[in-house]
Amino acid sequence: MFRSRSWFGGSLFRAKNPHSLEHLKYLHTVLSKNQTVSESNRSLLVETLRSIAEILIWGDQNDSSVFDFFLEKNMLSFFLKILKQKCGSYVCVQLLQTLNILFENIRNQTSLYYLLSNNHVNFIIVHKFDFSDEEVMAYYISFLKTLSLKLNSHTIHFFYNDHTNDFPLYTEAIKFFNHPESMVRIAVRTLTLNVYRVQDHSMLRFIRNKTAAPYFSNLVWFIGDHVLELDACVRNDADHSSQSRLADLVAEHLDHLHYLNDILCLDIDDLNEVLIVHLLNKLFIPLYIFSLLPVQQSSPIIQEGKFRVSSVVSLFLLSQVFLITRQQPLVNDLAHVILRSTAASWQNGSYVTNARPVFGAPLRTLEESLDTSISSLAEAGNEIVTEPTVNMNITDEEKELRLAQESQKVFFEMVVNSLDCNENDYATLFALCLLYAISQNSGIERSLLDGLLLPAENPDHQRYSSWIVKKLINIITQSCQAVCKIRLATLELATLLLQKLCMQDDKNLLCDAHFAAIVGAKEDSAALLTSYYKREDMFAEIFESEDEDMRKKPLNVEWLMMDSNILLPPTGTPMTGIEFGKRLPCGEVERARRAIRVFLLIRALWLKLSDMKETQLPLTNRSECVQSDVDLDLTNSDLLACHVVGPDGLRNHRFLVVESNQIILVVPVPGKLGFGRPKLAAMLHDLDVSPDKQDPKSLFISAKYTTVGPMVNSKFIFDDHIRCMAAQERLRKGRLKARDEKMRQMEKLLDIPLSESPQYNLQQLRRHHRTSAHRGLLAHRLPGFPAQISRTPSASPKPSADEGSEAGSSPARSRDGSPKLPRPRSEEIQLESIKKGALLRGGGTPPLVEEATDDASGPILRQYPNTGVGGRSASKETSFTQPMPSEPTTSSRRTKGQVETI
Amino acid sequence: MSYAYLFKYIIIGDTGVGKSCLLLQFTDKRFQPVHDLTIGVEFGARMITIDNKYIKLQIWDTAGQEAFRSITRSYYRGAAGALLVYDITRRETFNHLTTWLDDARQHSNSNMVIMLIGNKSDLESRREVKKEEGEAFAREHGLIFMETSAKTAANVEEAFINTAKEIYEKIQEGVFDINNEANGIKIGPQHSPSNSNLPPGSKSPSQSSGCC
Repeated sequence: MFRSRSWFGGSLFRAKNPHSLEHLKYLHTVLSKNQTVSESNRSLLVETLRSIAEILIWGDQNDSSVFDFFLEKNMLSFFLKILKQKCGSYVCVQLLQTLNILFENIRNQTSLYYLLSNNHVNFIIVHKFDFSDEEVMAYYISFLKTLSLKLNSHTIHFFYNDHTNDFPLYTEAIKFFNHPESMVRIAVRTLTLNVYRVQDHSMLRFIRNKTAAPYFSNLVWFIGDHVLELDACVRNDADHSSQSRLADLVAEHLDHLHYLNDILCLDIDDLNEVLIVHLLNKLFIPLYIFSLLPVQQSSPIIQEGKFRVSSVVSLFLLSQVFLITRQQPLVNDLAHVILRSTAASWQNGSYVTNARPVFGAPLRTLEESLDTSISSLAEAGNEIVTEPTVNMNITDEEKELRLAQESQKVFFEMVVNSLDCNENDYATLFALCLLYAISQNSGIERSLLDGLLLPAENPDHQRYSSWIVKKLINIITQSCQAVCKIRLATLELATLLLQKLCMQDDKNLLCDAHFAAIVGAKEDSAALLTSYYKREDMFAEIFESEDEDMRKKPLNVEWLMMDSNILLPPTGTPMTGIEFGKRLPCGEVERARRAIRVFLLIRALWLKLSDMKETQLPLTNRSECVQSDVDLDLTNSDLLACHVVGPDGLRNHRFLVVESNQIILVVPVPGKLGFGRPKLAAMLHDLDVSPDKQDPKSLFISAKYTTVGPMVNSKFIFDDHIRCMAAQERLRKGRLKARDEKMRQMEKLLDIPLSESPQYNLQQLRRHHRTSAHRGLLAHRLPGFPAQISRTPSASPKPSADEGSEAGSSPARSRDGSPKLPRPRSEEIQLESIKKGALLRGGGTPPLVEEATDDASGPILRQYPNTGVGGRSASKETSFTQPMPSEPTTSSRRTKGQVETI
Repeated sequence: MSYAYLFKYIIIGDTGVGKSCLLLQFTDKRFQPVHDLTIGVEFGARMITIDNKYIKLQIWDTAGQEAFRSITRSYYRGAAGALLVYDITRRETFNHLTTWLDDARQHSNSNMVIMLIGNKSDLESRREVKKEEGEAFAREHGLIFMETSAKTAANVEEAFINTAKEIYEKIQEGVFDINNEANGIKIGPQHSPSNSNLPPGSKSPSQSSGCC
């Protein structure tokens, strides 16, 4: 479009240098000759206005005489003259944009002051543009916003006139506070904040006295109106059909709260006072808090209860308030009302404030009240603030008497009782959020929360509210049932809140009975998970991914409260698109996932309460992967030379080492014979290995996690097919072992006795008996001796028939899948991870040994003479992995490792 | 002039990367790129055509408003497209992209189309961020990428229009809920091809949509 018009400017001005004083003079002539806008000169005027912007900015940056000329000729007055005629949006828009460009780009302060000094700008601000034209509106509000960004303690006086009590920039802008176009509303909010933050007392006094009450009362009504709409949306949405509308309304409410908070955070006391009174009396108390009560119960408190929202919505909204704003005067009063007020407190109609809280439409629209209040003193809002309450002068005695009579803390009880999950946890989640949000809000006086939502500071008092704690424990206990209606988010939040309530300086204050209930819940959750437990790779994968997920994304209450989906009644189906933690499980796999998470959550709580460190999770610690900054002593290690071809076609020569639970690719270290520098390391169980069907010398290997990022289908080319097979076998076995080890860790975690595991067949059971006899001996003879890992080839291979049957019955049990051929001992895989796992378990675990020592204590005993050699090599091979503290109890576990390698 | 759709854009990125200059360059090409003039603006609108439909782009620069949390989050939410701009001659503006992107992703609706722009491509001699790095960043985060110069106008047109095309495609695929204006998309006042006046690029002075 603009391209199209350039023919005009082009032909007209081609001869002249557009960036020169002469050109501006020429433009001035054009303006003087075309003071009346007509159909014929419209385009000329637009181009002239545009050129003026360009040349003025050029002048500001390059030649001050240009600006002098502009001011000298008072060219802004032409702008006004043009505006006063009905010039049409085409010209209006260009005019506004020229002004935008001017004010945005001028760097020279003096120029700016001159531009502002003759009040032309204020006349343009109050000009009644055609605001029904969306384009004019957008350019106009941008103009105001641009001006507001130029405000400071000097420039403010060009806009605010304390003699005439006039501040058109502000008063004109706030008239659009509820404009249907969101960008316009945002611009208005930006402008108001930019105005407030100019610390000019007389201007702020004007704002406070003349505009605050009308603006805030209308703003509060506007917010409340949105809330009613939100409530209607929740009520009428039984089938989750208006998720996006609801999401908007929730986001809109958050925007409002953030805006209010941004104002409050500017700490302008006079202004905040008015704002807070309006928020409390005209929105938060009458609409949010009063709606907590059921209709029949609320009647003595709300006389004219015209507007209310559902208690779920009100809990949700209040949580947002406490999560977002921490301004003491606001949140403290609000918390006071929720936590302390009784039905009797409201008999005078008001409680913490001096006015009766009523949510209703303001008497006048903002525009009306601004027009009147500028002349007469503002009363629309002030009347609310000063409205005397009925019967305020009751004596303290009377008050106390009444309190005693009716001391039931109506709202608080309502909130706490919502913690009961009778039918579902719909309201429970929000009640938890609200209590959590109040407990962590730093703007609330400690004394209000002491012993209630935070541990009592005085050890002589009851340290925590057992009323609430019991309810929380109840949620936790209920979660461990196979069929239950408690969502994971609810459980997680309950565990968080419980810690808030009863943990002080990392010490848990729970009484024995309550703590026992948590321990019981932990056992129940383990039992629940055991019922889903399968000795399968898949289960281990799910378990790990859930664990990792929870570790990565711990519950963020603020984010939770931003999600409108939780406002709809809890559902199970994933087809709503609702996250897993925020809905009920659907199907067997999800129920298993849920059981895993319940267990992990309650276990984490139990660890915290017991002040114990996590030692068993995560099952895989990928940070154990060898990093590239250590040189490994690989003397005596088994190295397989290979070429690695990545997906990008790059070919690298590497040596492949399989060490404990890792695959490591190394290159030789120059000058250090026998040492290797790792280029890549990955956990064996993360590997996906497949042979290249066209090339017996090659393998394709992928791994989601390596020390250098994901490895996708890299081709490993070995010297010959034998080496390739050896590598494949080593990787396969290592992987199986690592995975198997993971199952053991998990069983240990769940206290599943290994013998109960269904996969243990009779044969193994028999071995139990055989080996258990030797256990004592082994433990006795070999305290902490590392040599047992390694073995000579003389260790008898198992009968192949045995192996076959094993493999058939349980593919996961790798340790019995020993190779058919005797191999050199250097090919053995050191089960470092198993040793570590065993160590983590703390006390000795007989089942491990029983199960592990397969066909023969004989060979093991026979090896003892070799331990010297084995010990040496083992220490070499493991020198770069984490050193194993040798302790007497390790011996029995090592035995297990020993048997597993062959 | 009536339009079929109105798309709202925001421009984000560190200060001084040339956001407002890009905006002005796109919305009013009549401002000639010359060396001794740096000029920008915070708001602009322009009509374009995609698929023979008039589409109006409204572009809001969010500069100077970072101090207020409520403002940034509202802006993100109200936009259908975002231009995330860095300066190829200043490495730190590139390093801050992640922060900007996190913010955008957290506050915007999930369908918002984000275009990554490496601006000031005319200053090749002072380049600190390689084009490949920009490409890699865009690939990694699923953004469209382009290097532009507000000075020479190189790629400016394409940056805005390609973003619009992407939004338009998403509308065609039904990804955007166009009845929900909070997405930053507005359906035009009943758009009928018969009375819609000349296409953009015509010389009709009666067009009222003009402007920068």
